[in-house]
Amino acid sequence: MQDISDILEDLNRSHDPYGADNYNDGRPSGEADLQALTRAWINERGTVELLPWPKDGLIERVTDCVKTQIEKVEELTGNMEPKTNFSLIIIQTEVERWKFLIRSFLRARIEKIDKHTLHYLSTPELQARLSEMEVAYATRHQQLLHQHYLSSFLGSFPQNLQNLNDTAGGISMISGPDEESGVIARGLGSKDFPGEGVIVQGSGRDADSQVEVVRGEVVVARWSDVKEFVEKGEMELV
Amino acid sequence: MYGDLGIKLVQHAKRTQKLEHLPAYQTEIVRAVTREVRDLDKDVSNILQSHNGSIDPSADPATACTLLVDHLCMRRNKRCLLAYHRTRTDKLEEMVWSGNDVSDLAEQQQRPGNGQGSAADLGNVEGNSSSLSPEEEEYVRQYSDLLAAFKGQWTDIDLTGSLEPPRDLFIDVRVLKDAGEIQTEYGTINLTKNSQFYVRQGDVERLISQGYLLKLS
Repeated sequence: MQDISDILEDLNRSHDPYGADNYNDGRPSGEADLQALTRAWINERGTVELLPWPKDGLIERVTDCVKTQIEKVEELTGNMEPKTNFSLIIIQTEVERWKFLIRSFLRARIEKIDKHTLHYLSTPELQARLSEMEVAYATRHQQLLHQHYLSSFLGSFPQNLQNLNDTAGGISMISGPDEESGVIARGLGSKDFPGEGVIVQGSGRDADSQVEVVRGEVVVARWSDVKEFVEKGEMELV
Repeated sequence: MYGDLGIKLVQHAKRTQKLEHLPAYQTEIVRAVTREVRDLDKDVSNILQSHNGSIDPSADPATACTLLVDHLCMRRNKRCLLAYHRTRTDKLEEMVWSGNDVSDLAEQQQRPGNGQGSAADLGNVEGNSSSLSPEEEEYVRQYSDLLAAFKGQWTDIDLTGSLEPPRDLFIDVRVLKDAGEIQTEYGTINLTKNSQFYVRQGDVERLISQGYLLKLS
């Protein structure tokens, strides 16, 4: 989060539209966090599969920012001097935008979790993508659903049909997201070999091929093909 | 015929997806399908018993086929039931997210012909009984609690807030229903019907989603 002088400074500075995060003092700046948050948000909204919860405490950091900014707003409120009043409006607008990003990000995740709850809870690897709160929510939600099914009809079913995770007949009852769906992704350059693109193994309908995606290039691909690059931060969705 | 009722449930579920409100819970069909499953299961165990618990499919293809069909029908019915209930709970969850609670839902159903309520009641043949099964009401209550707890961890963000990107900090609103007084940081506003205000969006978000205010563009 920035206060007003930063914002004004920003206006004069030209941006690299998909520039790397600027960690200048070891701690990510507000701007870098905003960029990371926006990227996480776009990625999360662009894919059908749940992405790993941001590991470096991004969400915790940005919510803290929002909190301090809200406190600041409260502090400034009541001061009716035109100049503070103006900056107050700018800060509030900024806060609303951050709040929207975080909210939308969290809601997108919750929606995916709700859709395939059992799938994400089924293996430890998948479960690791959820934050602690999300695991708690998902577990409880699944519990409620199962309880609801049991009391509505499953309870009077024969014992061997009461499960929700049967795999009889070779078909698992647990459905997962469709990883073959298409996404539009932009290359950010390889992390291991700076300056170079990444090699995407594209699986086509007729034949598979390799495509090099350099920084700034935009491609349409199957999610399963670009997934690893997006998770490594070598590509982002648009 | 096996499965006839199951497909009815699926059709109901399909229809529900497109509707704004939740049609009445099909208690009868749900019960009938469950009964069918139990009957089929009894059937299966009878057949198995008469064959001493094991059959050779190649020696007795007819019985093997019966068993398979019974088996598949049971599973299919289960899927239909699950699909039906899941569609409804999804709908209910959506309502919980948008800020309705059970009493609101029940109230809506009990007052046919009242403004917003009339549209919601068109599909409800039984008139003023709730369209939720008791189990569903219980589910909504518990889910509301769960959501409230989850939301409580994100107090500053207001998870159930608008998912539209914010454009303006202040917006024009018209009051559709008397909503009493609200406190904002710019003082108290008295929201009387048909009056118009220029207010901070964050302050009135809730009232807009509840239908008290109309956002003017």
